[in-house]
Amino acid sequence: MSSPRSQQASDCFGDLLDCIIADVASECHRIARLGLDRNLEEEEEELRRSVQARVADQSSGGEANGKNVVDIFGQTHPAIASEIFECMNCGRPIVAGRFAPHLEKCMGKGRKARAKATRSSTIARNRHSRGSPVSVYAPYSSATSTHRVPNGTVGGIGEEYADHAFEEP
Amino acid sequence: MRASINRPPTPDAEEDPPQKELSLREIINIKLIESGEKEKLMELLRERLIECGWRDEMKALCRAYARKKGRKNVTVDDLVQVITPEGRASVPDSVKAELLQRIRSFLVSASL
Repeated sequence: MSSPRSQQASDCFGDLLDCIIADVASECHRIARLGLDRNLEEEEEELRRSVQARVADQSSGGEANGKNVVDIFGQTHPAIASEIFECMNCGRPIVAGRFAPHLEKCMGKGRKARAKATRSSTIARNRHSRGSPVSVYAPYSSATSTHRVPNGTVGGIGEEYADHAFEEP
Repeated sequence: MRASINRPPTPDAEEDPPQKELSLREIINIKLIESGEKEKLMELLRERLIECGWRDEMKALCRAYARKKGRKNVTVDDLVQVITPEGRASVPDSVKAELLQRIRSFLVSASL
């Protein structure tokens, strides 16, 4: 026969348990309504199905064929981006898909592009060869901020950047 | 003669609202909360139930129920009803004993 105190204790325990049950129910309700727990399962299922479909469907130009994928808005994109914009370094109109090679030449990564070098980028390159990684950004950042940065300030920007880089943990 | 302009005296508000009789249960609850012990007990119980997998079992029950009934048709009350019987029965004895022990100690220390 349990003493009154034991009974009280049991009641208390039941209370606590009810609270926790309510918490769990509330959380599961949320998960159910938001469809959160099913996402994992369903994604895996969908993945499997799409793999199967792809295997079965390889001859036809299926949706998931390489580059001609349809995005969520139903649009397709050509493999090479064709939008034309202005290079921020030299100001020339460039096809977006050819921007990277253009930048290589434009910013003078190699010997061949020395003709484009200004004093500022030469300084940056000299710093770079001495092993300071930060200064590589200097011509680019200066180029983006203003079209041509007067020579004197490049070092300043580079150094500011260096400080900033060192501060970051 | 005009009717008296003297208002009847305002009935005295009782100085203290009459103490409704708090059941022992309520007193215990109040003491638990005030002392902060209720919160500690809750945390302890929560932790134990998570450790022993009870919580995961309950969540699995909920998921199964939701799948059967349809995700959008589930209510919190449904889930509470689904879990409660199984939940109460499946608390491991050790966990229950530990909590009961603490509660009893509290009751003793609060001389209830």
